[in-house]
Amino acid sequence: MPDHETLPDAPEYDAENPGAEVEYDDDDEPLDLSTDNNAKIIMLGSATDDDSCASFQFENEDHTLGNALRWIIMKNPQVEFCGYSIPHPSEPKMNMRIQTYGEITAKDALIQGLADLRDLCDVVTDKFVAEKERFSVGKQKS
Amino acid sequence: MQRDAYVPPTAGGGAARGGGGYGGGGGGGDIPRQVSMKYLCADCGKSVTINKGDMIRCKECGFRILYKERTKRMVQFEAR
Amino acid sequence: MPLTGLPLAVFVFTTTPARKKVSLCARACNSPHIHRHCTASTAAIFAMAPTKEELERRRIVGVEEERVSNVTSTDFPGHYPGEDHTWNLEEFRKKLKIQIHKANDLDYEFDLIGVDASIANAFRRILISEVPTLAIETVFVHNNTSIVQDEVLAQRLGLVPLRGDKKGFQHLRWLKKNPDEPAVEATDFNTIVMGLKVACTRNHATPATETDPEKLYFNSSVYARDIKFQPQGRQSDWFSGAGEIRPVNPDILLAKMRPGQEIDIEMHCVLGIGQDHAKFSPVATASYRLLPSIKIKQPITGEDAEKFINCFPKGVAEIQTDKKTGQKKAVIVNPRKDTVSREVLRHEELKGKVELGRIRDHFIFSIESTGMYHSDELFLQAVQILKKKCVDFHEKLLES
Repeated sequence: MPDHETLPDAPEYDAENPGAEVEYDDDDEPLDLSTDNNAKIIMLGSATDDDSCASFQFENEDHTLGNALRWIIMKNPQVEFCGYSIPHPSEPKMNMRIQTYGEITAKDALIQGLADLRDLCDVVTDKFVAEKERFSVGKQKS
Repeated sequence: MQRDAYVPPTAGGGAARGGGGYGGGGGGGDIPRQVSMKYLCADCGKSVTINKGDMIRCKECGFRILYKERTKRMVQFEAR
Repeated sequence: MPLTGLPLAVFVFTTTPARKKVSLCARACNSPHIHRHCTASTAAIFAMAPTKEELERRRIVGVEEERVSNVTSTDFPGHYPGEDHTWNLEEFRKKLKIQIHKANDLDYEFDLIGVDASIANAFRRILISEVPTLAIETVFVHNNTSIVQDEVLAQRLGLVPLRGDKKGFQHLRWLKKNPDEPAVEATDFNTIVMGLKVACTRNHATPATETDPEKLYFNSSVYARDIKFQPQGRQSDWFSGAGEIRPVNPDILLAKMRPGQEIDIEMHCVLGIGQDHAKFSPVATASYRLLPSIKIKQPITGEDAEKFINCFPKGVAEIQTDKKTGQKKAVIVNPRKDTVSREVLRHEELKGKVELGRIRDHFIFSIESTGMYHSDELFLQAVQILKKKCVDFHEKLLES
């Protein structure tokens, strides 16, 4: 079971002054569970000298990120090969292998992939919100 | 959690949850001998107090099966 | 002209060349770097946009009698000579379509068109196992003389879905439960306390002939509505009035009792995720299916048409009568309703006349919330969680 310590510690509770305003994250995002970054990733010792090929180990990740990231890294024309595996089902680890044609390093390809996937998420959010708007307006009209 | 020694429910000790009035500090052997014990009748559900040497029998209905009372201690469970 | 995905600046398009030319050239050049290194003139030969039929073929996952065909995605650079397929955000923005079909608070159905299965699956997996919710985690039994055993009752209580003020949940934090660390103190930031105290008694006002236990006794059934929120610290501000923490469904039967029996329980609720235990999963189901595609290759007429439409659920296919000739012909009306049962492939007289499949990038998503959040909020949260994963690893990689 992965530990999910992605949250900041709660602010101190002032017992003598219980009504006092305490500062904590209160933005409008739905359930802001995480300002902390507990992501853990290491490069495994199977990289080539020029770093064009390398393996990475993601901790506390599984097929969810693994397959999505694999797909988007494979969309990079500089990448010759990208694949992921979960070496053992009872260890919360995910390994990803990236081999490029040599013009960029594997790490660059991974960074690019993560950025692309992040942008993809933003587009999906935008589209979903827009469609929700459209749908509710259409409902009111009819 | 510090577990205190088993406290049998008794007729005299009307203590509520969280351990009775007896034996809190007492180690293994020297729990005071109870003279009477409270049981529940399996038939009529009434509380029956029985002393040492008494007949095992409900005083109200004469039923011969008596249940032990549930522990007064709090028990913790994981909801899993 | 289906030229999507090709960098227009490099390639010169004239007419659509024949497919043969490409395979020849690919053999001669044999470099996967075609997009980068080829000169404009050779690129012109490579730059062959796939035909409409070819694009259509790639879009469909075939469902045949005994097998599925064309399963894997092929939209990667270097897979088809002369085609690009590089990740392009603007292209994606243009192609991505979302269409809502059902929008109830707890029951959402929408189409997600233009993404790969790996992305859609990530959303689905996050919905089931990574969106945090509140659930009863520890149960302190002060007294339970009902016939439901303590541990069984505790397990039942854990599975009761809870809800409360959504804004209030933003104040909540994880109760760290890493065994390596010293146990974190339970505070009003990470623990919600609920109580359940019910005793069953006899109702003396009922006639002696009454047999219904609901009338004979008070509290003969213990329901989820009997679970009462006991706010700690500032929780009374965060979850007040209608925003009180309470079970989503007040009518869940927890236990049955008879006079003299009693349940007195305190419960601690914490945030958790479905990966840890199913009780934390915010959805009853989150699933997708691919939109079915039914293609009629040759006209199906007369008696066969009747047979044909009976192979599908109601509303999928219909018989149309030609106004001039009066001939009856089967047509597909709504493939969305189809279950892709393959029944149609079992009939000799329909062999070769129909092709079944599913559209590779058309996901019909269905999200059924357990009640803590609305289904649409859940989907947006799932997208945010995937994004957060990317941002976090991106940050860590740039640091190292």
